[in-house]
Amino acid sequence: MKKNLASLALVSAMALSLVACGGNSGSSSGGAAPASGGGNDASGDVTNLTIWQPSDKETIENWWIEKLDAWNSEHPEIQVHREAIDRSDSYAYDNKVATAVTSNDLPDILFVDGPQVSYYAANGIIVPLDSYFSADDLSDFVDSTVAECTYDGKLYAISATESSVALYYNKGYMEECGVDIAKLESYTADAPMTWSEFEALAKQCTTDKYVGAHIVMDHGEGLPYALEPMYISNGKDYLSEDGSKAQGYVNSSEAVETTAFLASLIANGYANVDPITDEFLNGACATEIQGSWDVSVLEAADFEWGVTYYPVSDKTKKPVSPCGDWAAAVTMNCGNVDAAGEFLQWLMSKENVASYAAAIAKPASRSSAYDDPLMADYKEYPLTVFVNQLENNAVPRPRTPSYATFSTDYAEAMTNIFSEAASNGTVDEAFIQTQLDNVAASFEEDYNTYYGQ
Amino acid sequence: MSNTTVLSARKRNERVAAYIFTIPAVVLLIAFLVVPVIYTVYYSVFQYQVMRPKDITFIGLNNYARLFGDADFYQALKNTIYFTVIVVPTQCVLALALALLVSKRFRGVSVFRTMYFSPQLTSMVVISVLWTVLYNSNPNTGLINSMLAGIGMKPINFLSNPKTAMNAIIFMSAWQGAGYQMMIFLAGLQGIPGEQYEAGSIDGANRVQQFLYITLPNLRGTIKYVIMITMIQAMKLFTQPYVMTQGGPQNATKTVVYYIYTQGFQKGNFGYACSVAAVFFVIVVAMSLIMQKLTADD
Repeated sequence: MKKNLASLALVSAMALSLVACGGNSGSSSGGAAPASGGGNDASGDVTNLTIWQPSDKETIENWWIEKLDAWNSEHPEIQVHREAIDRSDSYAYDNKVATAVTSNDLPDILFVDGPQVSYYAANGIIVPLDSYFSADDLSDFVDSTVAECTYDGKLYAISATESSVALYYNKGYMEECGVDIAKLESYTADAPMTWSEFEALAKQCTTDKYVGAHIVMDHGEGLPYALEPMYISNGKDYLSEDGSKAQGYVNSSEAVETTAFLASLIANGYANVDPITDEFLNGACATEIQGSWDVSVLEAADFEWGVTYYPVSDKTKKPVSPCGDWAAAVTMNCGNVDAAGEFLQWLMSKENVASYAAAIAKPASRSSAYDDPLMADYKEYPLTVFVNQLENNAVPRPRTPSYATFSTDYAEAMTNIFSEAASNGTVDEAFIQTQLDNVAASFEEDYNTYYGQ
Repeated sequence: MSNTTVLSARKRNERVAAYIFTIPAVVLLIAFLVVPVIYTVYYSVFQYQVMRPKDITFIGLNNYARLFGDADFYQALKNTIYFTVIVVPTQCVLALALALLVSKRFRGVSVFRTMYFSPQLTSMVVISVLWTVLYNSNPNTGLINSMLAGIGMKPINFLSNPKTAMNAIIFMSAWQGAGYQMMIFLAGLQGIPGEQYEAGSIDGANRVQQFLYITLPNLRGTIKYVIMITMIQAMKLFTQPYVMTQGGPQNATKTVVYYIYTQGFQKGNFGYACSVAAVFFVIVVAMSLIMQKLTADD
C-alpha cells in the first residue's frame, strides 16, 4: 500500500511537472543576453541558422529542400537548416514556441502566425526587421501583410503569402435545389451577397443529406480568423483600433447581433455545430465559409463548385474579408541577426515569393509576384475572388499583445454559444451577451496586467 | 569471530552496492520530478507571463487568492472528480467482466484477449480523433448517429451538448482503458489455485457463490491496485478533452490538467498555472490518502 501511495504521489508530481518543465532556471535568466540561439552554433566563420515552421504538404516541403540546397551552396558562410514542426492543431505550434521562450531555446528564424506577431513583438521575442526591408521594398507587399507584420511602427516579420476566406458553393447541388446560379455568379467584390441572402440560400439547400452552410472552420484560431469580417461589416470589430480595449467592442450590441446571426444558422439546422474535416469536399454541406487554400483541396472534388465573395451585413453592406498568414521573424535568441536578415531578403525576393506561393497554393503577398507565370492561376476565376478581396477589403486581425488570450477566449465562447444554439434549437441573446462579456473582461484583465503601463 | 567480520563486510558491501544502484533512479527522480515540483511552487508566487521571462514579479499569495475565487477552476475540479468517480468503477467492473470472460480456456480465446487489449496499443490521440468522428452529431457523417437515425431516433449532439459531452468521454475512456486492467485481472485470476474452486464445488457452491467467496477475496490485492492506477490516470485526464472538445462546451469537459494547460501555455499565465498545479497536487495527495484509508486491509 505504501508503494502504491508513493507511486501515486510521484504521478501527482508529474501533473505538476507538466507546467514546471517549461520553466527556466530562475527569474533572472531572462535578463541575461542569450549566448546562442537554437542551433546557432558558429564554427569558424560559418553562421548556422535554424528555421522553425509548421510542416505543410509535400510540395512546399520539397520547395524548401530545393531552395535551401541552392542557398547553402551559394552561401557557405551562412548555412540554413529548417525544422518542419507539426502544427497538430491550431495552438500546438505556439505551445512549442512558448516552451522554447522559457528555456531560451528559440530558433534563429521563427514562422509566426500573423496575429501573433504583435504578441511576440510586444514581449521582445522577435526583433525589428526595418533595416532589412526598405519602404520601397515593402510598397510591393499588399497593405494587409505589412499592417499585420508591423507593431508599434516597426516591421517585425515578413510573409511571402497571404490568405483569404470566401463562400464556396456546390454548383450541381445548388441547381438541384433550384438556386439561381447566375445570381450567385453575379456578386462582385464591392457588392457581395448579404447575410439575409446567405441565410436564405443555406435554408433552401438544407435537406436530409446536406446542411446548407459550414461556418465552423475549427474550434481554435479558425473561429476568430474566419468570422471577424462579419463583426466589422456589422459595425464593430473585436477590439479597439489600438488593440487595448474589448469592452464595448466584442460585447457590443452589434457584436451580439452578429453572433446571434451566426448562432441562428446552427440553431435552425442550416449548419453543423461540429462539422467533420472537409465537410464540403465530402458532399455533406452545400456552401462553406472557407479559406483560399481549399481551392487546391477541392481539386479532388467529384462535383462542380464555385466561389463567391465573403457575405456582408444587410445593415451596412460593407465588404470586409479575412487575411493573414504565417510570417518569418528573427528571434531574440538569434546570434547573427544580420545573417538572418540577409537570408530573409533573399527568401522574400519576387521569384521566391512567386514559387513559394505557387507551391503552398496560397495567394502571394507581393503584387509583382502575380506577373510570374507560376501565379497565372491567380489571374483567373476562382482564385481572382481571393486576390480581389486581398487588394480591396482585407482587414488583419486585431494587433494586440493580448491576442493569444483573446483568441482562446473568443473560440471558447463561440463554441459555447454554438453548442447552446444546437442543443436548444433557439438563439439566446442573453447567453451570447454573457459569453462575450466574459471574453471582453478576460482580455482586458490580461492586457492591463501585462501591457497596461 | 572471523565469520562475523566477513558477514558484516559483505553486508556493508551489499549496502554500498544498493546505494550505487539506486543513484540513477534517484538522480532522474530529482531532476524530472522533485526539481519541477519545487519550481512549480516557487513560480506560483510570481506574476509570470510565459513570453515575458524578464518581467517576473513577486506577488505573494495573489495567485492563490485569485484561484480560490475562480469559478472556472472549481468547475474543472468538479469535472475531474466527476470523471474519476464514474470512470473508475465503470472501467474496473468492465475490465473484471472481460477478464472473467477470457479467462476460460476455449479455442480462439487469445483472439478475444487481443481484441479487448488492442485499444490500449493505439495512441489516445488517435482514439480520440476516431471517436470524435464516431460521435459526430450529423447522421450523414457520424456513425453512431447514423445508426440511431436508422432505428428512427433523433441525432444526439454527443460532444457539443454540455449534458452529454463528459459522459461521452467517460464511455470512450472506459472502453479504451478496460483492456489494460483486464490483463492485470487476468493475471490475478490465473494466480487463484484451482483447488479452491474444486473444494467449493464439492461443498456445493454455485458459480455466483464461487465468484463472491473465492474469486473476489483472492483478487483483493489486484482490485486495490487496479482501482489505484485507474484513479491516478483519471485524475490526469487531458488528451480526450484536448482533442475532442477543447474543454467545452460550456466548460463541461474542462479538467484541472486541461485548465493548467490553457492558463500556462495558451494564455501564457505561467505563474497562475503553477498555483493551480500546486493546489491540484495537494488535492490529489489528499484523495490518495483517503483511498488508502478506504482500502486498508485492517
